[in-house]
Amino acid sequence: MSDDHCDCPPSAADLRLRRAAMEGCGESRLLMSRRAMLGVTAGLFSWAYMPRFAEGATNDPRLLVVVLRGGMDGVNVCVPFGDKHYVSMRGDIAIPAASTIKLDTFFGLHPALVNFGKMYKANEAALVHATCVPLRTRSHFDCQDNLENGMPAAIVPNPTGWLNRLMTALPAGAPVKKAGAIEIGEAPLILRGPAPVLGWSSTWFDKVEDPLLYLIETLYRERDSEMYGALERGLKADQIASRSDQDDGSISDLRKAFRGAGRLIAANDGPRIAVLSVGGWDTHADQGAAQGYLAGVLGELDLAIADFKAAVGPSWQNTVMVAATEFGRTVHVNGDSGTDHGVGTVVLLAGGAVNGGKVFGDWPGLAPAQLYEQSDLKPTTDLRSVFKGILRDHIGVATNLLNTSIFPSSGSTAPAMSGLLKASAAKSMTGSIASLRAEPPIARYRKGLPVVAGLGAGA
Amino acid sequence: MSLTATAAQNALIAFNRFGLGAKPGGPASIGSDPKAALKAELAMPKIASIDGALPGYVKACFASQQGFDNAEAVRQRELNARIDKQMSVDIGFVERLVIFWANHFSMTVNKDDAVRGTIGQWERDVIRKNVLGKFGDMLRGTIQHPAMLCYLDNADSVGPHSTQGLNSGDGFNENLGRELMELHTIGSGGGYSETDVTVMANILTGYSYVRGWESDGGYNGGTKKNRGQFLFRPTWHEPGSKTLMGKSYSSGGAQQALDVLDDLAVHPATAEHVAFKLVRHFITDEPTPAMVNKLKDKFIASGGNLHVVALALLDLPEAWSAPFTKIRTPYEMTIAQYRALGKRYPDDSAWAFSEPLNALYNMQWESPSPEGYSDDTPRWLSPDAMRIRVDVAQFSSWEFANDYKKNVGSLAKSLFDSALSKNTAERLANAGSNNNALTILFSCPEFQRR
Repeated sequence: MSDDHCDCPPSAADLRLRRAAMEGCGESRLLMSRRAMLGVTAGLFSWAYMPRFAEGATNDPRLLVVVLRGGMDGVNVCVPFGDKHYVSMRGDIAIPAASTIKLDTFFGLHPALVNFGKMYKANEAALVHATCVPLRTRSHFDCQDNLENGMPAAIVPNPTGWLNRLMTALPAGAPVKKAGAIEIGEAPLILRGPAPVLGWSSTWFDKVEDPLLYLIETLYRERDSEMYGALERGLKADQIASRSDQDDGSISDLRKAFRGAGRLIAANDGPRIAVLSVGGWDTHADQGAAQGYLAGVLGELDLAIADFKAAVGPSWQNTVMVAATEFGRTVHVNGDSGTDHGVGTVVLLAGGAVNGGKVFGDWPGLAPAQLYEQSDLKPTTDLRSVFKGILRDHIGVATNLLNTSIFPSSGSTAPAMSGLLKASAAKSMTGSIASLRAEPPIARYRKGLPVVAGLGAGA
Repeated sequence: MSLTATAAQNALIAFNRFGLGAKPGGPASIGSDPKAALKAELAMPKIASIDGALPGYVKACFASQQGFDNAEAVRQRELNARIDKQMSVDIGFVERLVIFWANHFSMTVNKDDAVRGTIGQWERDVIRKNVLGKFGDMLRGTIQHPAMLCYLDNADSVGPHSTQGLNSGDGFNENLGRELMELHTIGSGGGYSETDVTVMANILTGYSYVRGWESDGGYNGGTKKNRGQFLFRPTWHEPGSKTLMGKSYSSGGAQQALDVLDDLAVHPATAEHVAFKLVRHFITDEPTPAMVNKLKDKFIASGGNLHVVALALLDLPEAWSAPFTKIRTPYEMTIAQYRALGKRYPDDSAWAFSEPLNALYNMQWESPSPEGYSDDTPRWLSPDAMRIRVDVAQFSSWEFANDYKKNVGSLAKSLFDSALSKNTAERLANAGSNNNALTILFSCPEFQRR
């Protein structure tokens, strides 16, 4: 152990968040307090079981869901330079067409997304434009919940998350041994529910190392087998996920988390579905254009996606990464050279399995009369349609399950989007209907059931 | 002189299971009768109150409608005062009860400034004030507080047949009504129906608070004086008598909800729910009816007197016989570190307090769900969390005790007395540095388990 530990205050990203909170909406506070799951210390969670897919471990579909918290400015991520209103609407944050990475004759990618642009040209990345969660209150808190609970446009009390409901419907499979970490509970809402969840967080604290670690491990081994077992599994998961990163202090925790995600879901006996939360998108002031704040965040995300691809390795061909945000920004620039909460935005897709090289969705236009409530990009695709298209064609989830259990009451309002994947999953998976609401302990007690559900499963 | 093994074990139970961790010499001071020491703490006057110039109801409500920075400044002061209080008390059983009840009525400051600016005042004036009083008073105080009305979306809940509802077409929001039944009182499976949830939501229509824009513009009953405060809006309240769980409530207006709350507060299912949660929080993940019913009976017989119920908890045989199968929450662990060292973060470095708790998902007043933080041990004793706990123990040894010069082995002895295991003592002796020794101390089972 060294005495020269970094007495680090929260990193620069923290200060940016704080600034956003002061200058912009009070809800940027959300980003600060959820910092543990933000860009600086992105949290990774996944299902604790390796689904036993028909094709075998190496060909199993892999899915990484990235929740971009704060409301990403879709109009400047996938720039509609072909829309004659773009430049006038965007004023000093407009990105010149020539600066973008050309996607087609109408759209260009933000220049910071260099690696993502390469993937797009290699037909392994795509975007869906003008998407939105069903709820349109423009509240970070409520709309993030809505993105994660998969419900229609309503504030739902204490729901489960749609990805957890998906997991309860998947074939049980074997516990994830290699990573081995079972965590129940305080995962992000998208993973909340009865299916056990594995958690690994990339934290900035210095890690306890030998010989001190050895003293603690052996103490636990002698005195407390439960704490010992948990610590050992946690250390092992951390070792796989963070591998050699400890030697590279220059890499952000965001990139470490994407690398960790890639390593974990690529492992033969690792999880197949993972979630990352990335913050920093609430650009109320000085967001910049081709360069500046948003370019910086996008650039870091772009590197992280490239890291993820490298870490996944040959499994990339069976992988889909989908990055979605709770809402977009106003089309107009505000008085602080930033943008405020708006509805429509963009979704990023990457992975060898993605039917790439395309911008999906219907473009609603940026003329004043075409905006949503005279203010925002008008949503033309329900975000649930994107998720459903991926689950159906990549994982093979049956449509009736998607329409009722995973995204309730979405059959007619948000049908699964077609064509997002290169090929459709061969086999359709069906499962039982999962609970839409978490079952409180008292309910289990009153039924005479063990209060702690799912214990021992795979631990 | 050391305590006997039994006395030291019982002192450890008092400090870890029921308290916030020993301060140096703690076990020796209560070793003769730890249970009596806990009961004596319950009897101390003003044991639950926080002294100091913190904003009262009117000021806190006002600050909560003056932008993020004002609300946040109040939250910081409240949190610092809470931690100071929790470091100052001898054992901390009452403080643990405060934490328990604040979590029972869980809210997050991330919902809105209306919560951020008032949650500390709510905890002092509603939770602390009633933590050894009547559950019904705590319930009434919470449901009439702007923090809860904001957090569970009741502020714009309008009865469809009220004047406002008929004019605007607005309807009710059932969030608060549902959680009031499911989480705060009766509990899931306690005999209410979906219809009752809807009825409860209707009963609560009109329970609101004054938003800044209403105060500024004089809208909806808002004035300069009542900015941010609880407000019942009579023209938003669904008129008529209501029937909830088979009982008819004919009173109208604001009184209707109060009549219902008074009944729910002493309902046998509420008694069972509270009893179950207390046993589960303090003693075991799997409470048995034998344990639960003892507390439940006391709750019913006393009309929901929480002092009586707390005593009943201490009188459970399992309180003193159950093994340490639970683990301190990260927050309890943090406070226990501060108490052991007699030192916390400086006021201007609150990040040193919040970073470990964010990493371990236990930041206070920020539970992401109205259920509050879980009492499932596996949620806290998970592989990822255990790894981070050890790292955080080391972080604390550096951050708060880099200048610690005393012998850590002696500190451990004074914190655990004869309950300090040979295994732990041996590692402390071989740690090589005080920082290492403190990391071991903060990690050892004697410190973590409860």
